Amino acid sequence: MLITLSWRNIWRNKVRSLVVILAIAVGLTGGIFIAGMMNGMVAKQTSNAINNEISDIQIHQPKYLENSNPKYLISDVDQKIKKIKATPSVTAGCPRTKALVMARTASKGAGVTIMGINPEMEKKVTAIHNLIIKGTYFETSTRSQPIVIGEKLASKLNVDLGKKIIISFTTLDLEQIAAAYRVVGIYKTNDTRFDEMHVFVLREHLNKGLGINGNMANEIAIRTTTQEIAPQIAKDLAEVFPDLSVQSWREIKPSLIVMLTMMDQFSIWLIVIILFALIFGIINTMLMVIMERKKELGMLMSVGMNKTRVFKMILFETSMLALVGAGIGLLSSIGLIGWLSHVGINLGFWAEGLEAVGYSAFVYPYVSGGYYLNITILTLFTAIIASIWPTRKALKLNPAEAVRAE
Amino acid sequence: MKRYLKIAWRNLWRNKRRTTITVASVSFAIFMALLMRSMQYGSYNMMEREAIKNSTGFIQVHAPGYWDDKNIDNTFENTSQLFDEVDKTDNVSMVIPRLESFALASHYDMTKGVGIVGTIPEVEQSITKIKSKVIEGEFFQSPEDRGVLLGDDLAKYLDLNVGDTVTLISQGFRGNTAASINVVRGIFHFPAPDMNKQLIYMTLNEAQYFYAAPSRATSYSIMLHNPDKQNETFEQLRSKLGDNYEIMNWDEMLIALKQQIQSDNIGGVFMLAILYIVVAFGIFGTILMMTHERRREFSVMIATGMQRYKLATIVFFETLYMGLIGVISGSIISLPIVYYFYKNPIPLKGEMANAMEEFNVQPIMPFALEGSIYLNQAIVVVILVVLISIYPLININRFSLISGLKS
Repeated sequence: MLITLSWRNIWRNKVRSLVVILAIAVGLTGGIFIAGMMNGMVAKQTSNAINNEISDIQIHQPKYLENSNPKYLISDVDQKIKKIKATPSVTAGCPRTKALVMARTASKGAGVTIMGINPEMEKKVTAIHNLIIKGTYFETSTRSQPIVIGEKLASKLNVDLGKKIIISFTTLDLEQIAAAYRVVGIYKTNDTRFDEMHVFVLREHLNKGLGINGNMANEIAIRTTTQEIAPQIAKDLAEVFPDLSVQSWREIKPSLIVMLTMMDQFSIWLIVIILFALIFGIINTMLMVIMERKKELGMLMSVGMNKTRVFKMILFETSMLALVGAGIGLLSSIGLIGWLSHVGINLGFWAEGLEAVGYSAFVYPYVSGGYYLNITILTLFTAIIASIWPTRKALKLNPAEAVRAE
Repeated sequence: MKRYLKIAWRNLWRNKRRTTITVASVSFAIFMALLMRSMQYGSYNMMEREAIKNSTGFIQVHAPGYWDDKNIDNTFENTSQLFDEVDKTDNVSMVIPRLESFALASHYDMTKGVGIVGTIPEVEQSITKIKSKVIEGEFFQSPEDRGVLLGDDLAKYLDLNVGDTVTLISQGFRGNTAASINVVRGIFHFPAPDMNKQLIYMTLNEAQYFYAAPSRATSYSIMLHNPDKQNETFEQLRSKLGDNYEIMNWDEMLIALKQQIQSDNIGGVFMLAILYIVVAFGIFGTILMMTHERRREFSVMIATGMQRYKLATIVFFETLYMGLIGVISGSIISLPIVYYFYKNPIPLKGEMANAMEEFNVQPIMPFALEGSIYLNQAIVVVILVVLISIYPLININRFSLISGLKS
């Protein structure tokens, strides 16, 4: 009864109510769009980092984490990988030999991380093979040792396919050596800093160069079915290999978690600020409603409508106004985000700047269901706050005087 | 005109509460906008300033083609004649000749590829204040000092302490082999982690000796007295040096940084746009109510001879007043806060700080105090107000007198 009354009241002045509803709808849609964009960027950054760079889980010698010297090795790698692959929820695992070296050409050089990999196993762990923009992922046959490098490093060193790169490093026997590699592939991820710093060679070649026995590696990278399950699997594996350090992506790159939590907080605060700006308009409209209906309210009170009911009626009116706005806003955002998450947004114009910090220039906005729920709750909350002042105003009316009002 | 302003002002305060609430909404939007923009501009300015100070300088002079092909052979001769010519250009405050290249640094069983910066200690100190960044050991003793300074992360990786020797191997000028053993004079720590992981500083003399490139340099970094006159200085240098040298502005050299700032800026502008749209709806609602409740009043005035356009002008001024009071009050409220944080940037701690450092940004949140930020918000609000007052203008010009009088 009261609800029907409030609902009809809203539509007594259509234009005015529509302004408020539209303001809420537009404000929320805009806020959700921005939050969706940011979420999309961070989620893409996280999945890119996991897919291309760090994987879900990494295993090292504990000492390797303090000082990434290739002499800190994991022994019996093949057996360990077999064991890891048998663990439930683990989809793939691969061994790597890793060293910090200098890559140079006749006139230029740069410090890089070299990764000795097994291409067939690596393909199941990282997506670098899908990101080759020139040449192949170790499929080109060459008489010298093949190397795959990032596009950024290629331009820094000014090398192209088929060109030679000299890699200088210290072997485990403390011998300074330089080995020649031939570029067979050039890759490009969304993170220029990664592309500049990482080169890939065959594990047997690097092992031989460094003087490492074939069944040893510096790192085992592991993929799990989902990124959420990785921390739990890491814990389980840590029990299986008590002498080794097992880290999930959350520990390997804590900045990802910082970004994710920051984004969550930011998207809620954004909506809070927008709703706060909306409160002013809602209060104004509702105050206006009360002043306009002074006489009517006085009458209702005189014929016996008690204060609780008056309070409820105004509260319902405000809440419905806000919720209709929120409903329209949410529906249009679900449509907009749903469509954009499908087609994506191309921020190509700023690609270089975004990729310099590891963001992809192609963004698929997304928003979680919980976020929509939070917004609905926040909007309702806003409506309640906004109705305090107008209801107080209404309750203070003296029925005898109000009935006589103009 | 003066009378209209007065009437509009009085009309505004006929419903004090409503006007106050509307003004408060504008004020809130302006307050949020100013805080956000000062924060964004503050960090952009810091990023640019740091990059200019620590890496490129405002303008650089290179051998032709050096920027695209950074190569020890792409150097130019650092003659005192050339130096003076650049140094004596108007607005140039300082010229820093540097010889930069790469090397393989090793100590015992550890090696790493590093960047080498050869520079004149005194000049470098006056710009980058590198002396204060030295956390262990000492700064260069003289321009001929043969010792090196290296980043703390690099020192840790190579297990080097002050007084140890580091072996450097590289490719020298015109195919010479570069190799030397240098004493670690000091260890520095810059806010940007990339510099700590892979940079070694040596004196320009030592670098020229090491790379067998006597009296050569890869770049002149130029600092300016007045950064606003950068373009004039750039043109002067170009006409002086001609095509024999490559001259670049910092924004050409820091394209990635520029784009990073631009893309971040777009996000900020978008957020403000939504805030302003919401507030505009609020103002519109108020104006709507004002015009509707005064229909009878308007009709009477028109019937007694007031011209419709004059009435419209008054309503326009009412809207403008609300916008301007909001802008002014919002600016006044935010000013002390912005000023405080401008003087005392917020230091960031914990994970947030680590995340910032990963992007090579100092973990502080500085605010900018710029008149243009304030002016821009005022302009936006005035534009909104003008757009909003289209409604009462149309309404006043259209509504029927008879029904207005009867209402």
